[in-house]
Formats: sequence, structure tokens, C-alpha cells
Amino acid sequence: MDVSNILASHAAKFQSIDVEKETPLDVDTGFLTVTDLNPIDEDSYSTNLEEYLQSTARDGIQALIASLYSLPTKPSPDGPLAVLPPPTTLLPREKPLPKPKPPTKWERFASAKGIQKKVREKKIWDEEKQEWVNRWGRDGKNKEKEDQWITEVPANAAVDFDPVKVARDARKSRVAQNERQRLQNVARTTAQSERQDRNKEIDRTLATTRLSTASMGKFDKKLDGEKKLKGIKRKFEPTEIPIEREKQSSLAILSKLDGDVKRAKREKPNGGDDVLNVRKAIRSASRGRGAVALGRAQTRGDGKGRRGGKR
Amino acid sequence: MLRTIKPKNARAKRALDAREPKEVEDARTAIFVRGTHTGEVVNNVMKELMALKRPDAISFSKKNAIRPFEDSSSLDFWAQKNDASMFLVGQSTKKRPAGLVLARMFDSKVLDMCEFGVDKFVSMSEFKTPKSTPGHKPMMHFASELFDTHPRYIQLKSLLMDFFNAEVIDSICLGGLEHIISVSVAPSSGLNGATGLSLGDGQSSEDLSKLPKVYVRTYTVRMLASGTRVPRVELSPMGPFLDLSLRRSQAADPDLWRAAMKRPKMKKQDVEKGLGKKRKNLEVDELGDLRGRVHIAKQDLDKLQTRKMKGLKAGPGEGDGESTEEGDGEDEGSKRRKRRKSS
Repeated sequence: MDVSNILASHAAKFQSIDVEKETPLDVDTGFLTVTDLNPIDEDSYSTNLEEYLQSTARDGIQALIASLYSLPTKPSPDGPLAVLPPPTTLLPREKPLPKPKPPTKWERFASAKGIQKKVREKKIWDEEKQEWVNRWGRDGKNKEKEDQWITEVPANAAVDFDPVKVARDARKSRVAQNERQRLQNVARTTAQSERQDRNKEIDRTLATTRLSTASMGKFDKKLDGEKKLKGIKRKFEPTEIPIEREKQSSLAILSKLDGDVKRAKREKPNGGDDVLNVRKAIRSASRGRGAVALGRAQTRGDGKGRRGGKR
Repeated sequence: MLRTIKPKNARAKRALDAREPKEVEDARTAIFVRGTHTGEVVNNVMKELMALKRPDAISFSKKNAIRPFEDSSSLDFWAQKNDASMFLVGQSTKKRPAGLVLARMFDSKVLDMCEFGVDKFVSMSEFKTPKSTPGHKPMMHFASELFDTHPRYIQLKSLLMDFFNAEVIDSICLGGLEHIISVSVAPSSGLNGATGLSLGDGQSSEDLSKLPKVYVRTYTVRMLASGTRVPRVELSPMGPFLDLSLRRSQAADPDLWRAAMKRPKMKKQDVEKGLGKKRKNLEVDELGDLRGRVHIAKQDLDKLQTRKMKGLKAGPGEGDGESTEEGDGEDEGSKRRKRRKSS
């Protein structure tokens, strides 16, 4: 039997789904992304850009679809779902990792004793009513004793014994105790975190002070229980650096100096430089009469002024 | 800084809890911000990119005097206020006409930014073809060797993936794959990663003009029968088509980047499975129990000890020395057993 006709017609009907590239395509099925690292074919790029872009995109997507269809599937009401593997591309997170909740006193006790956490359902079965009722809250099971119309009273009860009040008080005290314990847990965790913060700050200050010496703390006196700092190296600038960077660093120093001068001027607006206090010099030269008088004496003539001076 | 809110009712508490950091994060919400002047092109580009990004998109329709590369405090504030972590800022100035800034945030602080100029824009409405359904996940296609070598293009790929496709999902309906976003780069003339420029903003204008153009294309996908399980894919243009040129960029601060790349601690089951390292004959079942498979050599049935009977015993004259020795041993053993029985 000759099947070549059938095969040929089949081939004509269905085009190829294979993609062949020099560098194999990098498919990240977890993010539905495909990366084609092959260099661009410049001829077809310059002749027809849109067609070229579409054909490369088609090839890439064909490879992605092929790997998506080879994934295991699970049924769902909307058709089969492909189960995706975790993505291989690493993208930065949007927010920092969630911090673990500090354990309560009970949780610490339970973990030490190996007590498993049991989830209590909110509804429990009421035998009398033959229905599910709330464990607590509206018409809760915990208010049963307060709501029932008849209560057994112990024989030695006082005259004014009120069973409803007793049950209610017991319930209220349980609620109060729970709240008190919750607040204690909160207070404990905040105190702990404060202490941790303070310890961290002390450690940081200690590290800074150690680094501040020329030997980077090598010859400092060690305290008891002081840990060795890790990852600390003296950093030397290279002896030869590009002229651009050298210029930059010099200019940075200069501008910083400039800034110092400006700041000094702002702080002492009418002082001169550090060596000569101009204000004081004028006062002594004019014998306390001020700069204007001194100026006037200068313009009147040198001889007179000198003769009038104190010998 | 926003004031910290203490929820007064359960609904507000749920809304605040939804903003808390999660181990597996949701899709990034993007805010589309207009600068002091946006031309027609930038307006349309932002409108159409928003159509692609919906429903995780917030539009700021008023103008804002904002320069992300000079002062990013507004971005920080908006990110925190709207619980958003991506920004697309559109601004058109004389110096930088038709500009778009794509910024990514970490913990309501700017992580990195990249600026594009829109050279050519073809709108969605110019193609009379079927469009994708809003909210469907796009497939992404990147085509250039620069996406693996050049720091600017590595950043671009990471930003665009984060913008469109960052949500980690465990399964997807294959019928719902409707459109693709294809990002290609023009041929690079002697540009590669080794001689590549640093990602800082100290780049001169000649260096920027050397960076090849980026072509962003959107297509819809048609799946045709191929005779096999895998369908044959045909694309038809959907729009928008963008030709972008890279402008300024701001690389991520190394410390912030390191904090952003932290991964959650692995679950016990994954750790025991070996975390990608192949561990032979071991598997962890759903309950977290480690199960091993033990292979034993084939049992030699000739040496199997069957029931002992007098008639099967090798006689003193039969067999070779070895068998007689064995027989002796057996005899001793049986004697002992007898003795034990008697005692």
C-alpha cells in the first residue's frame, strides 16, 4: 500500500511545529517567558522589519507552547489546567519577607511539651436543639447556663444565690483572663524587641569605634566576651587612578574646604581671619573711639597724629 | 510618611492584612503617572499599556510635577499610599520628547528605574484584529543576545517581566493564553557586555545613542491543529507597537537589591526532596514522611533452606567435601536444637 500521498497531504495540511535555532531557546515556563539569545539576522531585519519580528516571535512562542503542552495537567471546570513549575528567572521581591510572628507563652509551652495545635470549630452540635450552634458569640453554647429556664441549685446554697449571675461571672472572668494574657504576650514581645534593638545598636557602636583606629582595632584592649569582627578589611586606594577620578576627588576636597570657609563666615560675620581680630585691633588703635574717628585722624595728617600720641 | 492606622473594624483589618508582606507575592500593581506635560503620543502609549496591565493598574489622570531621577520622594509616598510597586511616568519635555520612566519599588522605596523615548507608536485601534481579554496573563518573548550580556538590557528584561508577568502561579488554563508581548532589540554594532557601559547615570549622550533600539510588539495567538498534541502557533498583530530608545537609567542600590532578592526559607518537604539535587531512591510523600526504595541483589534460590527431612539429607558417601561439611554443620545445629528442646 502506498502511503506517500497520504503523508504528503498530511504534511501540506499541518505545518511544522518544530523550531530549530543555533542557540537553543531559554524557556521559563513558570513566568510564561521565552528568551531567544540568537543574534539578529541583519538582512531580513533591514528588508522587512515587522515580518522579521513577527516570525522570530512566532518561533519563540511555538517553543514556549510546546513546553507548556508537555506539562502535566489537572482537570478543572474550565478545561484542563497545566501545572506550572516554579519560575527559574529571579525577580526582586515587592516587599521584604514576612517576619515570623513571635510565639505566645502558650505556644512556647506547647512546643516544649510537644502539644499539637488543634483548631476548634466555631460551630458545635447541640443535642437538644438537634442543630449546629455557635460555640461562642450570638446564642453561643457558652451562654447555655445563663439562658436556661431552670437550674439545679446546691443544697447548701445561700438565700440570695443567683445561678445565672454565677455562670455569667465565670464566663466574664474567662474572657478577662484571656485578654490579660494577650496583653502580657504583647508586652513581652515589645520588651524583647526593644532589648534586641538596644543590643544591636550597642554592637554597631562598638564595631564603629573599633574601626575608627588606624589599626582597625587590632591593638585595642579586648573586652570580656567580645566577638571578633568579621569581614573587615583595610581599604587602600590604588596608587594609580585615572586622571578624571583623581581630579574629582581633589575637587571634592576643595569644595568641602570651601564649604568650611563659608560656614565659618556665616558663624562669625564680622570677624576677620583667625590671626588678627580686626574689631579688637581697631579699638586699640583708636583708643576705644572707633573706626570713624581713626579714619578722621588718618586724613588730618600724619605728623599731628603722631605728635599727639602718648610717649 | 503615612500615619500608621489601627483598624477599627474587621473589614479594615482584612484590607490592611492584605497589604502585609506575603511569602508568595501577588502581581505588582502599577501606577500610571503623567508629568507636567505629556504629548498625545505619551498619553496614548500610557492608555494602551494600561489596557494591557489591567486590572493591576491605577491611573493618575492629573498632571504632577515630578522628576523621578532627581527626586523620588513622591513615588515613595504614592507607592505606600496605593500599595503599588511599579510606576510608569510619562513626560514630554523639549530635551527629552515623549519620555516614559519605568520605576520599580521595593518596600515603598525606588529600587531601579529606566527611561525610554518613544520613537514610534502604532495604536491598538489601527489593527482591525481580535484583541486579548483584559486580565489574561500574557506570554513574553525576548529576542536578543543583549538580554544576557548587557547590563542595561538585563535590567530592561527584568523590569518588563516584573511589569507584565511577575505573579508566580501554580497552574494555568492553556485555552486562556491569548496574547504575547514580544521585545526585540535592533542589531547591535560592536556592543557587548564586556565593553558594555556601567548601569550608573554617568553616561554621556553618545553612549546612549549607541544603545540599539527596543521593539515592543503585541500579538494575539491562534492555535491551529498540527496533527500532534502540541498545536501550531500563528500570530496576528494586536497592538500597541512601540519603538523605544533607551535613555537614562538608575541601577539598584546593592544593599536594597540584596534585600529584595531574599527568598523565603524552603519548606521541609522541599528540603528533604533535595532542592533540585537529585537524590536517588528517596522521596517525600504528602505527609512529609521520607520513603526510601531499597534494591537487593537477586536471591539465589539454590541456597534457600527448605524444610529439613531425613530423606533429603546428603548421605555420608554422597556429594563432595563441601556438602559434607555443610551437612555436619546442619547436624550440629539440629543436635543443639534437640538439646534445647529436651532441656
